[in-house]
Amino acid sequence: MNRALIFVAKHSIALALSAMFLAPVLFLALTSLMTSNQTFTSDLWPHSWHPENYAEVFSKTPLLKYLGNTAMYAGLATGAMLLSSVPAAYALAKLRWRGRNLMMTLIICMMMLPPQVTTVPVYMLWANGHLTGTLWPLILPMLLGDAFSIFLLRQFLVTIPDEYLDAARIDGCGEWRTLLKVVLPMARPGIAAAAMFQFFYAWNDYYGPLLYTNENADNWTISLALASFRTLHHVEWHLVSAATLITMVPVIVLFFFAQKAFVQGVTLTGVKG
Amino acid sequence: MRRTRILAGLAALLAVTAACTPAPEPKPIATPGVEPSGEIELWHFFTDREAKAIDGIIADFQAKYPKVKVTVKGGQDDSKVVQAIGAGTGPDVAISYSTDIVGKFCATGGWVDLTPYVQRDGVDLKVMPEVVRSYTEFRGKRCAMPFLADAYGFYFNKKMLADAGIANPPKTLDELTEAAKKLTVRKPDGTIERAGFLPLFGFYENSPSHLGPMVGAQWLKPDGTSAIGGDPQWQALLKWQKDLVDWYGYDKLEKFRASLGDEWSADNAFQKGQIAMAVDGEWRLAFLKDQAPNVEYGVSPLPTADASRYGSGYISGNVIGVSRTAKNPEAAWALVKYLTLDQGAQVKLSNGIRNVPTLTSALTAPDLQVDDNFKVFLSIFAHAQSGTTPPSAVGPAYQETFGTFVDAWQSGQKKDLPAGLSEVDKQINDVIKLAG
Amino acid sequence: MATVTLTEGRKTSALRRGARGSRRPRLVVLTFIGPALLGLIVFLGYPLVAAVYFSFTRFTLINPPEWVGLANWRYLFQDPLVGIAARNTLWLTAAMVPARIVGALLTAMLLNAMKRSRSAYRTLFYLPALAPPVTATIAFVLLLKPQTGPLDTMLRWLGIDGPRWFNDPAWAKPALVLLSLWAVGDLMIIFVAALLDVPVDLYEAASLDGANAWQKFRYVTLPTIRPVLVFATITGIIGCAQYFTQAAVAASVASNQVTGGGGVSGTFGYPQNSMLTYPMWLYTEGFRYNLFGYANVLALLLFAVSMSITVILIRRFKAFTRGES
Repeated sequence: MNRALIFVAKHSIALALSAMFLAPVLFLALTSLMTSNQTFTSDLWPHSWHPENYAEVFSKTPLLKYLGNTAMYAGLATGAMLLSSVPAAYALAKLRWRGRNLMMTLIICMMMLPPQVTTVPVYMLWANGHLTGTLWPLILPMLLGDAFSIFLLRQFLVTIPDEYLDAARIDGCGEWRTLLKVVLPMARPGIAAAAMFQFFYAWNDYYGPLLYTNENADNWTISLALASFRTLHHVEWHLVSAATLITMVPVIVLFFFAQKAFVQGVTLTGVKG
Repeated sequence: MRRTRILAGLAALLAVTAACTPAPEPKPIATPGVEPSGEIELWHFFTDREAKAIDGIIADFQAKYPKVKVTVKGGQDDSKVVQAIGAGTGPDVAISYSTDIVGKFCATGGWVDLTPYVQRDGVDLKVMPEVVRSYTEFRGKRCAMPFLADAYGFYFNKKMLADAGIANPPKTLDELTEAAKKLTVRKPDGTIERAGFLPLFGFYENSPSHLGPMVGAQWLKPDGTSAIGGDPQWQALLKWQKDLVDWYGYDKLEKFRASLGDEWSADNAFQKGQIAMAVDGEWRLAFLKDQAPNVEYGVSPLPTADASRYGSGYISGNVIGVSRTAKNPEAAWALVKYLTLDQGAQVKLSNGIRNVPTLTSALTAPDLQVDDNFKVFLSIFAHAQSGTTPPSAVGPAYQETFGTFVDAWQSGQKKDLPAGLSEVDKQINDVIKLAG
Repeated sequence: MATVTLTEGRKTSALRRGARGSRRPRLVVLTFIGPALLGLIVFLGYPLVAAVYFSFTRFTLINPPEWVGLANWRYLFQDPLVGIAARNTLWLTAAMVPARIVGALLTAMLLNAMKRSRSAYRTLFYLPALAPPVTATIAFVLLLKPQTGPLDTMLRWLGIDGPRWFNDPAWAKPALVLLSLWAVGDLMIIFVAALLDVPVDLYEAASLDGANAWQKFRYVTLPTIRPVLVFATITGIIGCAQYFTQAAVAASVASNQVTGGGGVSGTFGYPQNSMLTYPMWLYTEGFRYNLFGYANVLALLLFAVSMSITVILIRRFKAFTRGES
C-alpha cells in the first residue's frame, strides 16, 4: 500500500517535470512545421502542417557537409581533451607534488578569465599563425588541456580509494600503467561525463566557429549554418527550428545511449559496493 | 627566478603579437585612367534572397571590369570584420549594416580615407543628399560610402482613422496626441485594448533617434561633444511624450506592450490592428504585403512640432568601405564606386533588396520600381530637414546613454528633465573623452 | 566492506605518502601535467598579461594599443552603468548557484529512486540543457509571455493575474533563475553519477544505527558527494560571473524585437537595465563602444572578485585537501 503510494507520487512528479522539460523541444517541433508567417505569433499550434520545411532546410544549405564538419570538430576536440586532461587530472587528484594546489587554483583561474577578453589576444595568436578560417584554433588547444574538464575529472578521480592504486604500485606498475590499467576502468563515469560535456559543448558552439571560420564557408559548422536563415530584417524561424531539431537529434540519441556508460560504470565494476 | 623568466617570455610573446598587428601605411594611389585589375574580396552580411541580389550586381561589375576578379563572402557580421582587419586578415571591401561603425573605422583608419580617390576621379559627392554624406564621413575623413538607405515614416490604419472621423493623418505633435486619444479603445476595467499610438520609447521602432526628427533635435555638436542637454527640442519631445504616456498610464502601457507580438512576426501590433499609428521603416511595406494583406493602411512623413519641418523623417543605411588591409585598393575602390555611384547599379540593387537608393538621380529613375507608398519614403529621403544619427568614435554609446535616461524618465523615476539631460551630457562627454 | 576500506585506506595511504613522493617525482609528474602546464601559460598567462597591458591603453582592436596610463581605471568611477551591472550579476549569482544545486540534487535523487523508466526520464529531464541556449531561452520567454503565453493562460484559469515576468524590472531576474532551473540537466547528470558512487553499505550501516532519511542524507550522502558539490559551486559561480547569452536573448524576446535580423545587442538590459549583467556591459563597452582598453579593466575586476570569492570558499571548506584524497 505504502509502496504503491510512493510509486504513484514518484511517477506523477516525474511526469509533471517531463512535461515541463519537454516544452522547448515541443515548441521547436511545432514551429518547424509552420508557415513562415505563423512563427512567433501567439498561436503555438500550426494552422497547417508543413513537413516540407525539412526538405527546404537541406536544399537551402549543404547541411550534411556542415554536420560532417561539426562532428569532426566535436570528435577531435573531445579526443584531444581526453589525451591531455585525464593525465593532468590524475596527477592533480592522486599524485603528491609541490605546487599541486597552486596548479589547481590556476586551472580554476583559467575558467574565470572572461571569454570576451581572452578571445582577442588568442585570436591574434592564431591569425599570426595563419590558421584562421579553419577549425584548428578550436581543436588544437584541447591538446593542452581544458580547464573545465580537468576540474571535473579531478573531482571524480579523488573519490577513487587510494588502496587500489597502491596495490597496483606494489605490483610494480609505474604511474602511467597504474593510470591506464587501474584508474581508467574505475573512472569511466567521470571520463564519460567529461567527454560528453566536451562533445556537446563543441557540437553547440557558436562563437568559436563564428570567430574562426566565418569567412570560409567550407569549414562552417551547423550552428553557423543556422544564421544563414536570417535576412536583413527577418529570421525564418520555421527553418531555424527545423535545422535546430535536426542538429539536436544526433546528440539526444548519443546521450540516451551514452548515459549508461557513466551512470552505471561504478556499480558495474563493483569497486565501491 | 623561474617565475621571472616565464614573465619575460610572456612579455616577449606579447610584444611579437603587438608588433605583428599591421600599422597603418598609406598606399600611393595610381594615376588617373589606370584600369583596375586583380583579385579582391568583398564581405557582406546579407544572406539568401538578398545575397543573390548582391551576386547579380557583382556579375554586372565583372562584365564591366573583366580584369578584376571579385570573391564574395556573405553572412559576415561587423565584429568579425573588425577582428579580421585588426589581425591583418580582413577583406578588401566590406559592407556593414550599421552607421555606428563609421566613426570607429574612420577614427582608427580601419577603412581608408577615400578622399584621394574621390578627388582623382573628379567625383562630385553632391549627387547624394547631405544627410547621407554626413553619416558616411567622420572628422573630415570620407572613409565610407552609402550602400542603400532606410527611411523612417509614419504608418496609419486608414480604416480606423476614418471610423474615428479623422480625415488626414496627423501633421503636428498636437494632432498626433489628439488622434492617439481618439483612436484608443479601453476595456471596461480600464486596461488598453487598442492604443491609438504607443508612445513608449523602446517599443518597436520608437527610439529617440527615430523620433528626434519630429522636433529636429541635435545629438552631437560640431566638436563631437553632446548637444542633448543644450537643445530645447529634446525637452519638448520628451515632455510631449511623457504627457501622452501619463494620459494612458505608464503601468497600463507596459502591460499592454508586454502582451503585443514580436515586431518582425505576423503578430506585429500594427498589422494586427492593436495600434492604429506607428513610426516604422520602409521595409514594413513588404511585411504588410506579405503578412497582413488585408490591412488598409497609409504612409506619411512624421508628424512634427512645427509645420516647417513636415515632410522629413529619420534616415540611416548600410555603409561600404575599403579596408586598410586591402591587397588591391585600386580595384576595391572601383567596386565601391560602381556600387554607390553608378545609377544603373543603384536602381538594380534597390529593386532587389527593396531599400532606398542613395543617388538623388536614382530616386526618380524610370526603371526604379515604386508604388505610391514607397514614393512617400523617397520623398522623406530627399527632404532637406530629414535627420540621422551622426558617427561617433564610441559607436552608439551616446544614443544608448540617452536611452537609459529616457527609460527612467518615461517610467517616472526621474522627474527633473534639465538636470537629467545635463547628467546625460556629462556621461556622454566622459565616454567620448575616454575614446580620444 | 566499503566502510572499512575507506577509513583504513585513508590512514595507510597517509603513511605511505612520503615514500611515494620521493620516487622521481618531478619528471613523472611533468609527463602528466606537461601539456596542461603549457596550456596554462598560453591560454591563461598570455591573455592575463595582455589584459593587464591593454587596460592601460586605448585599444580599438584595429590599431596597435596606445598607452594612456590610468585613464581607463579612472573612468571606472564615471561609468554610469557598471554599478547596476555588477549588482545584477551578484544578485543572479547569489540566487542561481544555490537554486541550481538544490534543483539538480532533488531531480537527481528522484531519478535514482526510479527503476526501469530511469533512462527515459533522464533523457527527458536533460532536454532543455541539450537545446541550444538561444533557442531554449526564446521558448521559455514565450511560454511565460504575459496575456498570450500558455502559463499566463493557465494562471488565469485559476483566477490568478500573472506577473509580467521578463517585462517587469522586479520580476525579470527571478524569471532568469527559473530559466536556469529549467536547464538544470547538465548539473543533474553530474549529481546522478555522484549519487551512484555512494556505497550502499554506508546507508545500510546507518539504517542499523537507526538513522532516519534526513540523517542518512546529511551524514552519508552529503559527505560522499562533497567533491562534486565543490565542483558544482565553483563552476556555478564561474558560470554566473560570465552569464550573458540567456539574459541577452530574454531581453530581446521580451522587448518584442527578437525576430529581426540585426542581432540582440540593441536591447541589452531591458527592462530598465534589470537584466544587464556585468559581462554584457563588458561586451558593450568593448565591442559596441570600441573601448577595448576599458573593457579589460572591467574584465580584470570581474576576474579578481570571482577569484577572491572562490579562494575564500576553497580555504573555508578546505575543498582541495581534507576529506578528498
